[in-house]
Amino acid sequence: MKTSLISVIFLLTLMMSMGANSKTYNGGADKSKLLPISSLLKDAQRYTTESATIAGTVTRVCQKRGCWMQLASDEKFQTLMVKVRDGDMVFPMTAQGKTAYATGTLKLISLSLEQTNQRRQAQQLEPVDKPETLHLFTPVAVTIED
Amino acid sequence: MSWFKLNRSLHRDIGYFCIGMTLVFAISGIALNHIHQFNSNYQVSRESHTIQLDSDQLETPEFEARLLQELALSSPVKARFWQDRNTYKLFLKDTTLYLNPHTNQVLVEQVKPRFLLRQLNFLHLNEARAAWMWFSDFYALLLIFLALSSLFMVKGKKGVWGPRGLLVIAGFAAPIGFVAFYSS
Repeated sequence: MKTSLISVIFLLTLMMSMGANSKTYNGGADKSKLLPISSLLKDAQRYTTESATIAGTVTRVCQKRGCWMQLASDEKFQTLMVKVRDGDMVFPMTAQGKTAYATGTLKLISLSLEQTNQRRQAQQLEPVDKPETLHLFTPVAVTIED
Repeated sequence: MSWFKLNRSLHRDIGYFCIGMTLVFAISGIALNHIHQFNSNYQVSRESHTIQLDSDQLETPEFEARLLQELALSSPVKARFWQDRNTYKLFLKDTTLYLNPHTNQVLVEQVKPRFLLRQLNFLHLNEARAAWMWFSDFYALLLIFLALSSLFMVKGKKGVWGPRGLLVIAGFAAPIGFVAFYSS
């Protein structure tokens, strides 16, 4: 009886803590380094080594593993993917529409022309003649606020 | 108390203690193994509606109020975002609206964490970090004890020294077979 009661209390506590308004990973983002996503992307090479904090509305989240989320930029149609290794952080799908702060660095991945146009097609954009670079933000700490 | 009786008592009591943790890891293990066929974390429902959308009015509070009323949604809009030239997103609590003003389509996507399975997966993937990691290590040690102590539960030919020893060999053979076959 006591064991069952303890188990129920444990699960309820877990459920309540998971529904908290603010969620932090690795101590939370360092908001003193806040930089607009558009500025970060304009000076992308610099932020591959220099740490910065970005902020934006969470527009999409990995449905299965929670290993990435897409943040809306301060510029229209612009987004930035925040990507972690599976299991390092698990972003909840219920974070969509909330504001996320992420501290970390940028990773630049050169795409082939075919990959570039496949991505642009998925985003309903016109094809281009030159390959683009994919920007992924690798966070060390994250805060998600409602 | 003889070592034989002590071993049996410990095996029984530690076995009782491990029931809860074993169920947590076993159920979530199956759920996570099949996450690509079945999203055990969230129940995602999508419903499409055809509603007259005026591109010039999309970003106004009046339009939002009318849209929410039409869709019978009560929670307020938390955030708005143009995903691409054809998709304007409105975020409500656990609900996202995808508006396409060119086709007058509104997709209502609702996300609900699955009862219990989400919590079990949360524990399995160690989202709780340090404290749960230490507790899981402790549980793993108990499992090692359960495995080894089971070898000494029954004496003589009725134990692992008899035909039942083949079961122990089979338990080792299965993982060895997988490694030999799939890792080469």
